Amino acid sequence: MSSSDVTLVLEAVKRGEKQASEELLPLVYEKLRTLAEIRMSRESPDHTLQPTALVHEAWVRLVNDGSRSWDNRSHFFAAAAEAMRRILIERARRKARMRHGGGKERLNVDDIDIAQALPDEKILLVDEALQHFSKEHPEAARVVVLKVFGGLTNEEIVEITGTSDRTVRRQWNFAKAWLFNSIRRQW
Amino acid sequence: MNAAQQEELFNAALEIENIFERNAMLDRTCAGNPELRKRIDELLAAIESADGFFSDCVSEVSVAKLIPDAAKPEVPRAVYARELAGSQIGGYRIQQEIGEGGCGIVYLAEQERPVRRQVALKVIKLGMDTRSVIARFEAEQQVLALMDHPNIARVLDAGTTESGRPYFVMELVRGDKLTNYCDRNRLDIRQRLKLFIQVCQAIQHAHQKGIIHRDIKPSNILVTVHDGIPVPKVIDFGIAKAVEGRLTDQTMFTPYEHFIGTPAYMSPEQAELNGFDVDTRSDIYSLGVLLYELLTGKTPFDRKELTKSGWEEMRRTLRERDPLPPSARLNALAGDELSRIATDRKIDPSRLQSLLSGDLDWIVMKALEKDRCRRYETALSLASDVKNFLENQPVSASPPSRIYRLQKLVRRNRVLFAAGAMVITALVACSIVSTWLFLKEREARRLVEAAEQQKRTLQKEAVHLNRLRQAAEDQRRLAEALALANLGKHEEADQLVSQIGTHFATSDHEVMYRTLGDMHALNGRWQEAAERFAVLIQINHQNSMESTLDDTRYATTLVELGRLAEYERFRQSLVARYAGTDNPITAERIVKACLIRPANAGFMRALRRYVDVSEKSLQVGHEVDRSMASWRAYSLAVMRYREGNFRAALEWCERSQDLEPGLQSKIVSVQLVLALAYARLGDFDRARAEAIEPRRTIEETFQNGIQNLSRWEGFWFDWMFARNHLRELETVLSQTRPAGS
Repeated sequence: MSSSDVTLVLEAVKRGEKQASEELLPLVYEKLRTLAEIRMSRESPDHTLQPTALVHEAWVRLVNDGSRSWDNRSHFFAAAAEAMRRILIERARRKARMRHGGGKERLNVDDIDIAQALPDEKILLVDEALQHFSKEHPEAARVVVLKVFGGLTNEEIVEITGTSDRTVRRQWNFAKAWLFNSIRRQW
Repeated sequence: MNAAQQEELFNAALEIENIFERNAMLDRTCAGNPELRKRIDELLAAIESADGFFSDCVSEVSVAKLIPDAAKPEVPRAVYARELAGSQIGGYRIQQEIGEGGCGIVYLAEQERPVRRQVALKVIKLGMDTRSVIARFEAEQQVLALMDHPNIARVLDAGTTESGRPYFVMELVRGDKLTNYCDRNRLDIRQRLKLFIQVCQAIQHAHQKGIIHRDIKPSNILVTVHDGIPVPKVIDFGIAKAVEGRLTDQTMFTPYEHFIGTPAYMSPEQAELNGFDVDTRSDIYSLGVLLYELLTGKTPFDRKELTKSGWEEMRRTLRERDPLPPSARLNALAGDELSRIATDRKIDPSRLQSLLSGDLDWIVMKALEKDRCRRYETALSLASDVKNFLENQPVSASPPSRIYRLQKLVRRNRVLFAAGAMVITALVACSIVSTWLFLKEREARRLVEAAEQQKRTLQKEAVHLNRLRQAAEDQRRLAEALALANLGKHEEADQLVSQIGTHFATSDHEVMYRTLGDMHALNGRWQEAAERFAVLIQINHQNSMESTLDDTRYATTLVELGRLAEYERFRQSLVARYAGTDNPITAERIVKACLIRPANAGFMRALRRYVDVSEKSLQVGHEVDRSMASWRAYSLAVMRYREGNFRAALEWCERSQDLEPGLQSKIVSVQLVLALAYARLGDFDRARAEAIEPRRTIEETFQNGIQNLSRWEGFWFDWMFARNHLRELETVLSQTRPAGS
């Protein structure tokens, strides 16, 4: 099945054809599972969530989150990026909790030196700042989610947002400065 | 300051490479708006560090890879079948199917143990991942158990069917859905409003426990009749949350049955793409839709219209289009439809219209505000306005003012009105407040859940029933405090907290204690602040959490109260506690927190370790953020000053000033340490000169109230450092004046 097939299926979903979404689910499901495995395998070994469980979670979110009705590829990618965001945030929180509770490796929450922050801690910091950011700059915040959590390239983002490459670059630059500044101030 | 304007200006500046040209452009554009200029400069200064910071944040795993390119994998069968009468699910025997909704099928079932009773059993049409739904429900169940209200149907249990789908067991309510009941029995407006008030009270009860329904609609409110009196019961509490959010959304589109329901009851913020920003005010909106329908027989937006043109369009409608007020809506109806609706309400069409216009219109429209800051704050205030109407009292809702209409117009046409930045500023401010409230609420909910979790643990371990009861009572109060905090009622939350022992506080209460302590500190109630911070410190200790910021809060508070013996003990404990640290930020904060007051030689020796860590981090070759380095230099200046090495103190002050001026509180503190050092070196004139500016700033700041400082202006205790320096300087200068003159 090729990408254009998926697009066809997505279009069928949009038209409201019942079986279409059923056809799409297993395809994407399988892929999402693989992705999660890749992502997990790159992480430190103290993760508590099995890749399969992870994907199950993401999947249920994708499928049952009606706000992301899949009327096209773009929506679907946006939804997938959001699902990934939630997975990663939850994992990072869990890991942070384990560290704090476990007592072996103590972490001073105020003292996450931002220059040396671990990706996990960073992700939490970024996400928190992002919540504030999205209130004022929803479009740029969307670009952050697609890039940081969805791992999409600028080209792909252009396709999703329907803006220009220049706009995406500008939004990303502004978002980085804003978020970093906010994180640095520790608020 | 307009957000879009900021973004635009930042990018425009970034594209001008020549720094002089860039500054010239900014000078021109920001003329008369120094705040905007400051903000843009800040952002531009951050860009390089930001690049480094984000360089490894971008995921290498792309969701673009979700598009399959390989062969078609095995297709799992959709799991969705009906349960047969007589079959068994968990401890429940299915008797018959009694209804089908967007998210599942409801069965009448019989429970056999521990008591034989009939229950409603709802099997969710999910297909996959039952486990996480159940897990979420279990987390929720502890909170749901807190609800006890005659107008709320209890959720009793949850589990998994053999085919792997989640199910929920609820108190069986035999009744009709609210709107049907009203129409079928031809209830007049007064009777309808009375039922509505009861619904509001039920929702209020849930909100006080920190529970949001998220899916209020007529079919989730059933009316049963007891002794001839109709009693509305809200069902499905907690289920929307457990199936991750929005059943209403799911109703709109599920993999198996498309577009079967309608989002007509969804608040604008629920319909947003990042729909997790939902709080109690979302329920208020849904109550508004419900009231609208009870009065007019119509939802504010037509269900079919709403879903017909796709999701994007629907979101736009919910976000931007104002519905007609109820009376106007009736006016727009065809004659026969209007007379049918009026007949159902035992009233003439014309009288119905005039009954709704005015107070009822305003009440409904206030609940339906797009901007949740403008809605009723609580379900109770909505109910009391309805009650006011029934009792011919004035209502709090009022017709929108002209300015407000203009604001809405601006909001709908942001680009056109970009010039009217002033108005937009007000709107942005509101959205910041609501974000903050949402974060608070989310935190409070988590805390309530955690409190309940702990209660369970306690119940297992407790031997003495009395102690258990007391514990449960305290837990309940703690939970209630959190629910209040969730409603933004910090003073009331604090009252409850002040009545309970500290031994229940866990890491989950950390945020609340910090918030309450800060609240007291900012209002100068140091005694109370000390009590809250003491608990906070205890929580941090118990959980091996190191938070030097909290330590600083407590240290500052003790000094402010003049509890110097305690401060002495506390700083001794700090020095011991962090002895192993090699984190320069920790070291810096410890030095600052420990040296608010002079210390003896032994203590100064103990502090050396921290100073070494700080100094080392500032040596050449170490990459340090300039702002952080500047704080560090300041702490070293304080250290040298306390050691009596005043010349070195001067040097560190100057170094701190050279690095980055930074926050006002730091500028002032550094200047004062400088002045102190000069005074000690005998140069009183210089000391007095250096002190003029900071004295004025500090007096002004405290006169205006430190609670009025924005979060961007640093922590409140940074200002306390500054004020303590000033006090110390005044003492030194007053003692030396006779000798100097």
